[in-house]
Amino acid sequence: MRNHFCGSADHAVGRRAFLGASAAGAAAFADMTGLGVLGSPALASELKKGQKRVILLWLAGGASQLETWDPKPGAATGGPFRAIPTDVPGVHISELMPEMAKRMKTTCVVRGLNTRNGDHGGGAKLMMRGRRDEAGLRYPDLGAVVAREMARADSKVPDYVTFYTQTEGRSMAPGDGGFLGARFSPMELTTNDTPDFIRRPDGLSDLDHKERAELRESLGKGFARGRAGGDTLGSHDEAYGRVRGLMASESLFNIGKEPQKVRDRYGPTQFGRQCLIARRLVEAGVPFVRVARAWWDSHGQNFETHQEMVPELDHVMATLIDDLKERGLLDDVMILTLAEFGRTPAINASLGRDHFASAWSMTMTGAGIKGGSVYGKTDAKGGTVTDGEVNAAKLFATIYRGLGINPQKNYFVGTRPIPLVDAGTEPITEVLA
Amino acid sequence: MRALRLVHAVAAVLVTGAVTGGGFPPLAAAADLLPPVTPVERAVDHYVDAGLAAAAVTPAPQADAATLVRRLTLDLVGRVPTLPEVEAFAASADPDRRAKLVDGLLASPAFARYQAVQFDAMLGYAGGKKRGGGDLQAYFAAALAENRRWDRVFRELMLPDDADPKLKGASDFLRPRVADADRLTTDVSVAFFGVNVSCAQCHDHPHVKDWTQDLYYGMKAFLARSYESGGTVAEQPAGVVKYKPIKGPEKVARMTFFTGAAIDHPSNREPTADEMKKAKAAKGKPDAKTPPAPPAFSARGKLVEVALEPGNADLFARSIANRMWHRFFGVGLVNPLDQMHAENPPSHPELLAWLARDAAGHGYDLKRLIRGLVMSNAYSRGDRTDSDAPPDPQLFAVARVRPLTPMQLATSLKVVGQDPLSFEKLSPADLDKRIEGYESTARGFASLLAPPADNLQIGVGEALLFSNGDRLSKDFLTDGAGTLLGRLKATSDTNAAVDLMVRTALGRPPTADERAALTSFLAKRADRPADAHRQAVWALVTCPEFRFNH
Amino acid sequence: MPAPRPDTLKPVKDFSRTAATFAVARAAGSPTLYLGAADFKVSEADLSASKPEAKELYAHASYVTGLALAGKWLVSGGYDGKLIWWDTEARAVARTVDAHAKWVRKVVASPDGTLVASVADDMVCKLWDAATGKPVRELKGHAEKTPQHFPSMLYAVAFSADGKLLATADKVGHVVVWDVAAGEQLAAVEAPVMYTWDAVQRMHSIGGVRSAAFSPDGKLLAVGGMGKVGNIDHLEGKARVEVFDWKAGTRVAEFPGDKFAGLVNKLAFAPDGSWLLAAGGAGEGFVQFFDVAAKAVLRQEKVAIHVHDFVLSPAADSLVLVGANKVAAYSLGL
Repeated sequence: MRNHFCGSADHAVGRRAFLGASAAGAAAFADMTGLGVLGSPALASELKKGQKRVILLWLAGGASQLETWDPKPGAATGGPFRAIPTDVPGVHISELMPEMAKRMKTTCVVRGLNTRNGDHGGGAKLMMRGRRDEAGLRYPDLGAVVAREMARADSKVPDYVTFYTQTEGRSMAPGDGGFLGARFSPMELTTNDTPDFIRRPDGLSDLDHKERAELRESLGKGFARGRAGGDTLGSHDEAYGRVRGLMASESLFNIGKEPQKVRDRYGPTQFGRQCLIARRLVEAGVPFVRVARAWWDSHGQNFETHQEMVPELDHVMATLIDDLKERGLLDDVMILTLAEFGRTPAINASLGRDHFASAWSMTMTGAGIKGGSVYGKTDAKGGTVTDGEVNAAKLFATIYRGLGINPQKNYFVGTRPIPLVDAGTEPITEVLA
Repeated sequence: MRALRLVHAVAAVLVTGAVTGGGFPPLAAAADLLPPVTPVERAVDHYVDAGLAAAAVTPAPQADAATLVRRLTLDLVGRVPTLPEVEAFAASADPDRRAKLVDGLLASPAFARYQAVQFDAMLGYAGGKKRGGGDLQAYFAAALAENRRWDRVFRELMLPDDADPKLKGASDFLRPRVADADRLTTDVSVAFFGVNVSCAQCHDHPHVKDWTQDLYYGMKAFLARSYESGGTVAEQPAGVVKYKPIKGPEKVARMTFFTGAAIDHPSNREPTADEMKKAKAAKGKPDAKTPPAPPAFSARGKLVEVALEPGNADLFARSIANRMWHRFFGVGLVNPLDQMHAENPPSHPELLAWLARDAAGHGYDLKRLIRGLVMSNAYSRGDRTDSDAPPDPQLFAVARVRPLTPMQLATSLKVVGQDPLSFEKLSPADLDKRIEGYESTARGFASLLAPPADNLQIGVGEALLFSNGDRLSKDFLTDGAGTLLGRLKATSDTNAAVDLMVRTALGRPPTADERAALTSFLAKRADRPADAHRQAVWALVTCPEFRFNH
Repeated sequence: MPAPRPDTLKPVKDFSRTAATFAVARAAGSPTLYLGAADFKVSEADLSASKPEAKELYAHASYVTGLALAGKWLVSGGYDGKLIWWDTEARAVARTVDAHAKWVRKVVASPDGTLVASVADDMVCKLWDAATGKPVRELKGHAEKTPQHFPSMLYAVAFSADGKLLATADKVGHVVVWDVAAGEQLAAVEAPVMYTWDAVQRMHSIGGVRSAAFSPDGKLLAVGGMGKVGNIDHLEGKARVEVFDWKAGTRVAEFPGDKFAGLVNKLAFAPDGSWLLAAGGAGEGFVQFFDVAAKAVLRQEKVAIHVHDFVLSPAADSLVLVGANKVAAYSLGL
């Protein structure tokens, strides 16, 4: 019985390895759920190796690859912008990104994404999770998986933080713990730059807040003993156990703690501000931060929109790279630019570009990634991938591998093994450091 | 047991080579089952006890009265009992007190309201969709209020009639799904038959021989003709589903149910240009008043008919029995709920077969089934064992601790926020009216909480919300007249205050340790009793004993 | 002589192009059209031919967005930041000037043909000697950044009929009137409705003042763009024109649009000032005739293309629209 997962024989290997490892920490493995592993010292130590972290710059709505990473100057589809040379010989990017042009040695561009889903909701879920949901099974997104792999059970900082301040597309690209559950669901910041409920309520002193929590703990102590509730029971106390520590992390969200000089570097825009907070968070050990920059969906006036928005991306991304590098963090922090899809090479009557998932680009910078690499090619007009095609699964396998996570490892939903990426998917070894 | 399961899991890897076809053989011969006249609860205990005996596991003793009344009230009407309800039940010497309680709860309007939330979630989650909470829930509330039979519900959801005001909301099951025939196929299969064939979309299931590509597309052939029109669900008079097996030429699907029952019909053909045109015109009109006339032959209707035919209906019956079992025991007889197939046998095959036969034999009467489950000794066991490791959950040796659903938690918070004395001597109708009001307050708060799931992980978001959000103090723990905090204000004796708050929140008197901890907490704040009470009650409603159904 | 009447507007001839045409210039009475387009090329076409065809003259390195005829000189500007002087008699490029650090949005010539003005996203309007290509002066009156700290854009420029005044207009709706001879700012007016900044939903902007025209007496200044936009992914704001008494700093008329969505990309007054012509578009295009004094819409018609530019003959009896993949000629009569 029990092998319900319809994967290939590859699972068997991963599964055996997983079971083998778990034997060392068997007691913690009660329900064969993925979460038990957090309490398993044998696996935990392996997982913590390197403490990699991720900042995902989510270009919501779909930024144009032609106006960023894969320009086609002079082609009928190329639009008005020129391509400029970069510090990597032979690699050109859009003239809208002069700062990144000086820093391409830090960054890998994947130019051959073919992800086949040109719908905002479907595309966003695919590119956040690396796969399509199965009926009855919601996959965790990249942030939840990284949080799950990198977070400490008693972490005093959040595991997964997502900024998505604009309203457009927010509900279509939710951060989602999926079957990993709320433990690894993101702390979502939408209305301002400080998380909800992280501050002590008015009218309750710090001492009362602390002693009230202690009273709670003493009243609940021993409830779990002899009771059968799976991991759910434990997760409840663990969640309350993290409250005070997380409240202490509130200052991480306060860029007033940064010197004016640093704030000026990131610039006055919301995106700059939130990226600075992201840097503060990863510096403090937060495994995954998403900063969503909405909204790139330029059906009309594509070039005006990109002329307005790309320079900000260029400036903030370059600043983030410099800042992390200066702090010695770039080897441990991976910066991604990703969206639900790119934009059509064809230019419509409103001088816009529409949704396009069959030949678009993303970037990876830092931890585990070979800087200055370009993977994949598109044709002269940007209409198709001619070399090095990459789908969502392959991209995620590469990201996981770069972070030191085995993409073939399995999670278990009940007794059902679920590999991190679609079975048999290999990472792009060419871009791994 | 745990070790044994691991061995099973590894062994399963060795199962290779799928065999096509197969169907779903009966789990147990009818002749071997307990007679149909056996009361449901006795059948449950008979089979569960047999399982315990075979595993040589001693079950936990029966739960005490306070635990049982809490569990039943939560499970059936979605809230904790009021303090007077707990005390009345505990004090009753009536040998039929449990049956009377259960029957009272089953008959209350709150039962229909709360179970509607559960059914809505059950069908909503089946497709991985977010909670609907809208019209489908309203449909279930109306259906459950009159104890509409499950086969009729199935028919009404699958063949919705928006013209009938009594069936309002029924089309909300199909409508959001029809645009994607694959998803519709999977969701219908999961919701009503406990079968998740989605992976057979691409290939025969490598490990489950029942689940072939032919079967998947056979099911799809019943459903692929449906489309949305005028806010409801219409159907093409003809249609054909073709698919490409991994090997061999393209195939045309025969309408085929999971038992292998196949239907050949002349409408299994490409629609004519005229039919396509009509459907295309109808599709474009979300506001059209009158949907297109139903086709002469409805493939979807045929599926309903075939699925409920004797000989085929076992799957339908077993799935609902398993789902109801899961709802009240926290673990299914078959797990996961969408993996009912020969390779994944139930923990108690005869019991599931008996329950399925009983359900079918009594017209899929859900109340009868639910009543039988919650009247069993297996249901009313204590929630604690002395052993270090709990026994296999599928032995049902001990009551499983289950997180409250968002609505259970939010409504319960509202209930315990009230002055318990205010519930005394209320007529059931007046009590229900008050509870209904609490439910509407609770709904907003419930939407902030994680939806139920197997192996739910409670996140720090909830702990932060309860610790620092103002919703709890504003909507639930207020201190005006008629509230618990208001009553505590008027209670000058600390001992009495401690007693009242613990009994109200947890339905039992405080232990000595708890009394000591609370007394010292209150004493330290003797100069500001209102703050002290609020904080102490907060600690009680955030501790696991309140957060879980046990 | 009274101007032709709007109700006589009728199509004469059109021809298709594969690339969007952003700019058109034509000498008085000449059948030759000069076209600047998204294929980076400046082309000419003979409108008197039975099947007119655009033939390449020379190319920029990006979109060609401005064309001005000053005597024999055709001056083109593009998103490559360059201005190119083409000698229409010698049929040769005379000079290429690195005119602006950013995109050139529009190029116009003074009515007497002595000066050429260019505007670009470096937010500077530059005046050039039409004959020599020498810079004459720079007019700086537009902020480089929007109030939200994003790059602004300088879209529109227009001379008055007597050549003494120049108007420039930018993305956020700031409009400046200049004394050409002195190079000084005479006045500024604002059309903020034409700039939509969406802080809540999408955090970027759309719109801007895209066109400007002085009335024949120079007293009124009309500017065109698009009204407030709900969903800034699309050009779905209403086509919008505002007319100012620029000296008084007051708005004397506004045409908020009731029929067409999209940008007003070009404006021109009738020679006698009796009407104001506006054209533009989104997915589709439009032309509109307004009676400014009566604050009335005289005529508004859908046209097949999103109109990026037009040229109206001095007598206003011939109109050529250019835009998304088409060039269309119309006549007007009395």
